[in-house]
Amino acid sequence: MRMGILGNRIGATVSLAALVSACSGSPQPAPQQSAAATAVPARPFKIAMIAKSSTNPVFLAARTGAEAAARELSKKHGVPVEIAWLTPPMEDGQVQAQRVAQAVNEGASAILLSCSDAGKLNGAIDDAVGRGVPVMTFDSDAPDSKRFAFYGVDDVKTGEAVMVELAQQMNGKGKIAILAGNQNAPNLRKRVLGVKQEATKSPGIKIVDTFFHIETPQDAAAEVVRVQNAYPEIQGWAMIGGWPLFTPTLLKDLDPKKVKIVAVDGLPPMLPYVDKGLAPVLLAQPVYLWGHVSVNKIFEKVHLKQDVPVLIPMELVKVTKENLGKWARQLKEWQFTDVQEEYLKLP
Amino acid sequence: MAAYGGTILTSTSRILDLIRRFLASQQAGLVLVIFFLGLILSLFAGTHPDRATGAPINNFLNSHTLIQTATDASFFAIMAVGATVVIISGGIDLSVGSIYALAGVAMAMSLRGLGAMDSVPTIGLGFLVCLGVGLLCGVLNGVMVVGLGVHPFIITLGTMWILRGIAFVMSKAESILVPPALTGLAKASLGLTESLYPVPMLTMLLVAAAGAAYLTHTVMGRHVFAVGGNAEASRFSGLRLGRIQIGVFVISGALAGLAAFLGASFYGSASCGDATGYELYVIASAVVGGASLLGGKGSAISAMLGALLIVLIRQSIRTLRFDQNYEWIIIGCAIIVAVVLDQGNARLATRRLARQAARA
Repeated sequence: MRMGILGNRIGATVSLAALVSACSGSPQPAPQQSAAATAVPARPFKIAMIAKSSTNPVFLAARTGAEAAARELSKKHGVPVEIAWLTPPMEDGQVQAQRVAQAVNEGASAILLSCSDAGKLNGAIDDAVGRGVPVMTFDSDAPDSKRFAFYGVDDVKTGEAVMVELAQQMNGKGKIAILAGNQNAPNLRKRVLGVKQEATKSPGIKIVDTFFHIETPQDAAAEVVRVQNAYPEIQGWAMIGGWPLFTPTLLKDLDPKKVKIVAVDGLPPMLPYVDKGLAPVLLAQPVYLWGHVSVNKIFEKVHLKQDVPVLIPMELVKVTKENLGKWARQLKEWQFTDVQEEYLKLP
Repeated sequence: MAAYGGTILTSTSRILDLIRRFLASQQAGLVLVIFFLGLILSLFAGTHPDRATGAPINNFLNSHTLIQTATDASFFAIMAVGATVVIISGGIDLSVGSIYALAGVAMAMSLRGLGAMDSVPTIGLGFLVCLGVGLLCGVLNGVMVVGLGVHPFIITLGTMWILRGIAFVMSKAESILVPPALTGLAKASLGLTESLYPVPMLTMLLVAAAGAAYLTHTVMGRHVFAVGGNAEASRFSGLRLGRIQIGVFVISGALAGLAAFLGASFYGSASCGDATGYELYVIASAVVGGASLLGGKGSAISAMLGALLIVLIRQSIRTLRFDQNYEWIIIGCAIIVAVVLDQGNARLATRRLARQAARA
C-alpha cells in the first residue's frame, strides 16, 4: 500500500511538471533583438514591467508600447532591450511587491511599475533601489518611495477636466452622478476629489452621489443602470474611468437626449458612445505611451546616464465626434486590434 | 573486521529505514514534487551577472529567490495551517482573508491613533491587536456555527463579507502605513546579508511545526480528527463537539491575525482590500496538502508544503518565462490533479485493507 501511495505521488510529480510545461504552451516570444543588437555582444538591458492587472486592456496597450520602445532602442543603440512582463492577473499590491523582489532577484536592470497600493510598494521599491535596481512608476505613483520618476496624468486635474466638460455639456445645470471604480485606488480617489472640487464652481450642478463598483465592464454597466433606475433625475455621469463603456449595453439602456456622459479613457469599444452622442466627450489617456515613454525615460536615465525629470506629465486627449476618425487611426497605429472599420474611414 | 562490517550494515539499514519511512510519509509526494519543480527551475531559469562581481547567478537557485519564495508562501501557509485544523474537524473557513484585512487595518489604525511610541510597545501592541482581532473573529465564527446550527460554509461566507465591510468602513478604504518598528521586525535580516528577510519564513516553519504537534501529539488535536472523522461517534464517546468546533475556528482566526501582523509589517501598510481572494489559495493549500473536505484527514506540515507548491508553480511560470495568462489554469489543474490522486490513494488503501481482511 505504501509503495502504491508513493507511486501515485511520483505520478503527481510527473503530472504537475507536465502541467507546467504543457499548459504554459510555448514560452513567451523571445525578447525582440535587432540585427544591430545581435551583432554587438552587449549584456541585455532587462526592464521588468509590473502593471496593476493583466486583465485590464489599458495595461496591455501599455505593454505593447513598452515592447515597441524596446525594439526601437535595441535598433538605435545596439543594446538588446527586453521587457519582462510581471503583471499579476488581478490588482493586488502585495503580489506586486513580491514581483518587484522577484525582478531584482532575477537580474532586472530596471523596473517599471504602476502601483495598486503605494503603501504596500514603498518598501519593495526602496529595497530594489537599495540593491541597485532603479524604479520608475507610471499611471499610479508611489511618491514617498525612492522611485526616480513618475509618468502619468495629474489625477486631481483629470477629475476637474471631466467636470468642466460635463458642465459644458449640461449647460451648467442638472443632477449628476460620479462613477468611481474601486474605492481602494488612491489615483481614482484623487480624480473624484477633482470632480467634486470643480463642481463647486457650477452652482447649477448637483452631485447625487459617488458610486463605487468592481472594475469590470459588466459590473460597472450594471451599477450605472441600477443607479439610473434609482435616481431617474440624473442627467449627467462623470466617469473617472471608462469601465461601463467597454460594453455596448448602455447604448440601449440610456437615452442620449436625456443623459450625457463624460468619461476618462478612449479605448476602441468606447468610440460608438461618442458617435451616438451619449458620451460626447472622452478624455483619453494615451495608454500606449505609458509603456513607450516610460521605457525611453528608463533607458535615458539608467543606460545613457541622462537626467530625467521626476514628474513627467501625461496630457489627456479630448476625443469628440470631430476627431473620432483621427483618434481611431491612432489607436490602430498603437496596435489595438478591435478598432471598428467605420471609424477608421472617418475624416 | 566482522564487527566493522556489521556496523556498516547497521548504519546502511538505518539509512534505508529512514528513507523508507520518509517515502511512506504523508509529505513525501509533496516534497518530491517541490524538489522536482525546484530542479526544473534551477536547470532552466538561466542566469544573470552579479551586480557587484559580475559572476553568474542562477535566476532561481540563489538565496534571495529561495527566501523570497518562502516569504511569498508564508502568509498563505500560516493561514493554511489554521484552515487545515478547521477542515480536519469537518468544517470550512472562508473568512480568513477578511480576518487578515480587518486585523491589519485595526492594528494600523490603533498604532496611528496612539502616535509615536518606542519599538517594543509598538510591536507588542501591534501583535496583540492583530492576534486579538483574529481570536475574536474566530470566536464569532465558532459561536455562530455552533449556536445557530448553520453550516460553517454559510456562516463564514457571511462573516467574510461582514468583516471586510467593517475593515472598509473603519479605514474608509485608505491604505494605512504601519510604524517602521514593525517593518524593522518583519524585515530583520537575523545576521544574514542585509537584503535577506527570513522572519516570515521562520514564522511559517514554527507555525507548521506547532500545528503538527498540536494535531498529532495532543489530546485536543486527536479530538479534532475524531470529530471530523465521525461526529456522531465522537458525540457518543462523550466529546464536547461545540467546544471543539469553536476551538478550531479560534485557531484559524488567530493564525489569520498572525499572518496579518506579519503581512502588514512586512509590506508596510494595511488596507481593507488586503488578502482579497486569499481564502481560496489557503483552502487550496490545505487540500493540495492532502486535507479532506469531508473531515478527519489533513496535516499542518502538508498544508505548508501545499502553499509552497502553489507559490512555486506561480513562480515557475514567470521564472521560466511562460505565458502568464496560463497561471490560473495551471493552478486549477494542479489542485484537481492533487486531489484526484489523493482520492485514488484512499480508494486503493481501502481495497487493500479489505483484501487483507478477507485473507485473514
